[in-house]
Amino acid sequence: MTKTILLIEDKPSLLDTLKSLLELHQYRVIVAANGAEGLEQARLNHPDLVISDIYMPVLNGYELLELFKKDAALCHIPVIMLTAKTEIEEIDLALEKGADGYVTKPFVFRNLHDVIQNALNKGDEENRK
Amino acid sequence: MPYQTFLSAISLPVVIFSHQKKQLLFANRPANTLFKKLTNTKRGVSYSDIKIILHDFEPPEASGPAASFETRQPIRGKKAFLWLEVTANTVMQDNEIFTVLLVNDITARKTKELQMVQSLEQERSLHEMKSNFISMASHEFKTPLTAISSTIDLLETKLQMDNLLDQFYRHNISKISSEIFKLNTMLDEMLTLSTIVSNNIEVSKQAVAVEQVIHDIKYQYFSERKDDRVLQVTVSGTPRRIYANKNQLSKIFTNLVGNAFKYSSEDPAVKLQYQKSRLVIKVTDTGIGIPEKDIPYLFNSFYRGSNVAGIEGTGLGLSIVKDFVERNNGTIFVESREHQGTTFTIIFKYPQEIPAQQ
Repeated sequence: MTKTILLIEDKPSLLDTLKSLLELHQYRVIVAANGAEGLEQARLNHPDLVISDIYMPVLNGYELLELFKKDAALCHIPVIMLTAKTEIEEIDLALEKGADGYVTKPFVFRNLHDVIQNALNKGDEENRK
Repeated sequence: MPYQTFLSAISLPVVIFSHQKKQLLFANRPANTLFKKLTNTKRGVSYSDIKIILHDFEPPEASGPAASFETRQPIRGKKAFLWLEVTANTVMQDNEIFTVLLVNDITARKTKELQMVQSLEQERSLHEMKSNFISMASHEFKTPLTAISSTIDLLETKLQMDNLLDQFYRHNISKISSEIFKLNTMLDEMLTLSTIVSNNIEVSKQAVAVEQVIHDIKYQYFSERKDDRVLQVTVSGTPRRIYANKNQLSKIFTNLVGNAFKYSSEDPAVKLQYQKSRLVIKVTDTGIGIPEKDIPYLFNSFYRGSNVAGIEGTGLGLSIVKDFVERNNGTIFVESREHQGTTFTIIFKYPQEIPAQQ
């Protein structure tokens, strides 16, 4: 079954490219340009997975994660963070707040795809339980 | 011989007066010259001039130690001023109290001092601007870099799907890709170095399990390599924590292990030896080694071994490593033989007692 990914990224050029890449890999993709928009899209479309940038103007990635994990309807959706910073503190913070995976920018799509598949598999296993 | 004769021979301004009688007793020639300059007139010193200079300064007690102060005095009618250093002594003579002032014109010195403070301040803010700029730039650069690398991935994927991805495309696409990641590494190193230089590096320390740090970097940076090489990790002794900054430790080992992969063709190894009072960590490779003549300069910024032609690097990595090891109270040294390999040894003493986390 086709999986739906919600992609949240405030840089239009990157958003556009990643959307095409994911679609070529047989995902259905919904996009949002910031956290607030992303939250709205998630509530409307119930995606199987969320990929979100951290630094965004309206509702950043951490804030988004917190709202997601607090929301009974959304907390089961795996969230992958894209971060431009490679500091461990930064990554630790994302994982602490409940991120299911992360990729540091710039990345090769193969790595992102691995992280996506891991998160989706984990999600499926938990749903079967 | 009257005292005036002696005091006239002094080249610094000297003034003697009595507060009780509100009277000036003596002013030598340099004093008169100075006050002519201050009042912008041709008359000499008067008691009221002295009161202006003293402002609310209280001369010391009789036969007590001298007191001194610095004052900025405007030159009347001009937009200029003089800096004066005034030393006051109080003398008792025949039940009368006299104040002796020695005045020193320190305008030149003071101006230089102020200029220096100003230019230091300027330099500091410039420096801050520079490191903020580098930090901002290197983060900002990552966004277009990510867009470029993703677009390359997109092109590659599409070519493959359309059965057009031949050797020519594959070769050139991977070239673009590898240059992007080189640029990214350079940005990271520039950023690290700029934070070191501006000294505002994160220094929060905590109890760290080094084997966990090694495990993390192994899976974050050195797993699933194209050449199938892996990092061999061995641990001996009973693991104990050291007191250090986790982020810096991670950078240290990422760099050393990265080098070990880069300069060799076999599996590199990290050995953690938990000894009685210290942790000894050895990062070993069986690679090209370091020529003996290069070893003394190895940890200098931008210095690279003379046998690394054709191998990418900025020459910044090891200088960052050494700085970070020392910031965490460790020591580092290197043993190497050309064509046989290299071992970096880092030693951390265990903390006496780990301070409670803030």
